[in-house]
Amino acid sequence: MTAPAKTPASRTVIETRGLTKRFQGLVSVNNVSFAIAENETLGVIGPNGAGKTTLVNMISGTLTPSEGEVIFDGARINDVPAFRRAHLGIARTFQVMKPFPGMTVLENVAVGALFGRDGGVKSMAQARESAREWLEFTGLGKRIGVGADSLGGPDRKRLEFAKALAMKPRLLLLDEVMAGLNPVEVDEVVDLIKSIRGQGLAMLVIEHVVKAIRSLSDRVMVLHHGEKIADDDPTTVLEDPRVIEAYLGKRRT
Amino acid sequence: MKTRTLILAAAVAVALAFVPMFGSDVMIQFGINALVLAVLAQSWNILGGFGGYVSFGNSVFYGLGTYGTAIAMTTYNLPFGVGLVIGVVLAMLGAALVGVPILRLRGPYFAIATLGLNGAMMAIFSNLPIAGTNIGLVLPLTRNDTMFYELSLALLVACTLTVFWISRSRYGMGLIAIREDEDAAGTMGVNATLYKVTALILASIFTAVAGGIHAYWSTFVDPASAFDSTLNVRMVIMCVFGGPGTVFGPVIGSFVLSTVYEVLAAQISTAAALLFGVVIVLAVIFMPRGLADIMRDRANFTLRYFIRNIRENRL
Ligand SMILES: Nc1ncnc2c1ncn2[C@@H]1O[C@H](COP(=O)(O)OP(=O)(O)O)[C@@H](O)[C@H]1O
Ligand SMILES: [Mg+2]
Repeated sequence: MTAPAKTPASRTVIETRGLTKRFQGLVSVNNVSFAIAENETLGVIGPNGAGKTTLVNMISGTLTPSEGEVIFDGARINDVPAFRRAHLGIARTFQVMKPFPGMTVLENVAVGALFGRDGGVKSMAQARESAREWLEFTGLGKRIGVGADSLGGPDRKRLEFAKALAMKPRLLLLDEVMAGLNPVEVDEVVDLIKSIRGQGLAMLVIEHVVKAIRSLSDRVMVLHHGEKIADDDPTTVLEDPRVIEAYLGKRRT
Repeated sequence: MKTRTLILAAAVAVALAFVPMFGSDVMIQFGINALVLAVLAQSWNILGGFGGYVSFGNSVFYGLGTYGTAIAMTTYNLPFGVGLVIGVVLAMLGAALVGVPILRLRGPYFAIATLGLNGAMMAIFSNLPIAGTNIGLVLPLTRNDTMFYELSLALLVACTLTVFWISRSRYGMGLIAIREDEDAAGTMGVNATLYKVTALILASIFTAVAGGIHAYWSTFVDPASAFDSTLNVRMVIMCVFGGPGTVFGPVIGSFVLSTVYEVLAAQISTAAALLFGVVIVLAVIFMPRGLADIMRDRANFTLRYFIRNIRENRL
């Protein structure tokens, strides 16, 4: 089996034990256990349909697990509703982007500041200010006043990212924020993600771009047909023959 | 919102307060009805316009407000003010009891679930001896239209100020986020159930007071007029016509539609309802975002605006 991950010196933020999700007959996530510590970034790869998004859904509270446990900060949160998990400090982006179309870009991000970790800030002015900063940070500073529905694909990805960051998370779940970006944009986003590391933040980054995963991740976990087939440092995982066969090999052809 | 808009709104409110000094009796009576309807549309706007939940159960709060006031004043000889409070408390309880289970339902399922509420309440009140069963209750007569007019106006101002506050508050941002995408709002930390239920309770307060004022003014309450589902349909139409999720849209929408209806009814009594329906259908087709959307950007108010709306409606 996979070699044990290097023991993190800092505290575990998120942990799953035997996490399983069944849809009718289909097992989307099968007995997956992993942990992410403070200041650690876990890269998650796997072919389409491997169960990556389903895993994130169970951690963020969008879906309830069929079996197993989600443990945040040492406490079981299986029955905690999604909005409370946001207050605990769990933030996510959606692969299928979910901007609030009738709001401006600024308002979209302000929602994150107003309701995120610890219930967010109470003052609208403060929320707007914080939203403006995150929009500058993600490169959307010039689009603050436009309607969110008028953004193009790459900008929508940036908006998803800014919304999650404005929540001041302790655990950030990024579901394919680089999909559809060109190589230059991918490098920009990689730099952004690198610059928010530290300060205790734990990150789970789902991505298909191997180069990005390699440069971002402290560890890489591979899902295949809902099962974890590898979880180790990036070099070991990305050279594992089973991983190449299950995932990387196929993508290269 | 522009300062100019606010000043204009305040000026209109002050001007309206002077109508009873100059207006005829008929005009004041028309005013009372129009103001009460505007309160209902504005209250409906809180959950419907901001939260995106189409309720057909708000007329139940109106009915509870009328009956709370009527029962207090007739059976227990309590003053009008106490009656209003009782009506409001009944409506808030109703909103909380109904809201918690029903607001779990999304979109059309919520709307359908609220449709049954009027019928249920009508059946209950028709069999309540304390509410005069299906005969109804007659309230003490007070010939003071000016008082009823000013009360209705004050209520509309209070309700609109509340909506104004909502539109600029964290609370309102939460409601709008729910309207735009409830799942995304939840994962961002918005307690959707709490927000929706409080929006319904807030709406029930103003709706019940409107019901109480109207009951005392008309001096008569029976199950059919108190729990009238067409009243709820009118709230929806007036709010949507004026601009749901805006501060002044529902008020403008109800004033315009009340006037149109009054004019049509005076000219051609029998066909009025039909023509009224035609006006609404055309309005929904040509300006689905309501009057407020046009007023916000008058430069946009061209033929192209209508053509774009028609395209968007795929007609
Ligand atoms: N809500 C759902 N209902 C039924 N099946 C689902 C649902 N969500 C995901 N699935 C199925 O679960 C499997 C894993 O999907 P997903 O987690 O989206 O994969 P990935 O993100 O790795 O591409 C797929 O076969 C998908 O069809
Ligand atoms: Mg996915």
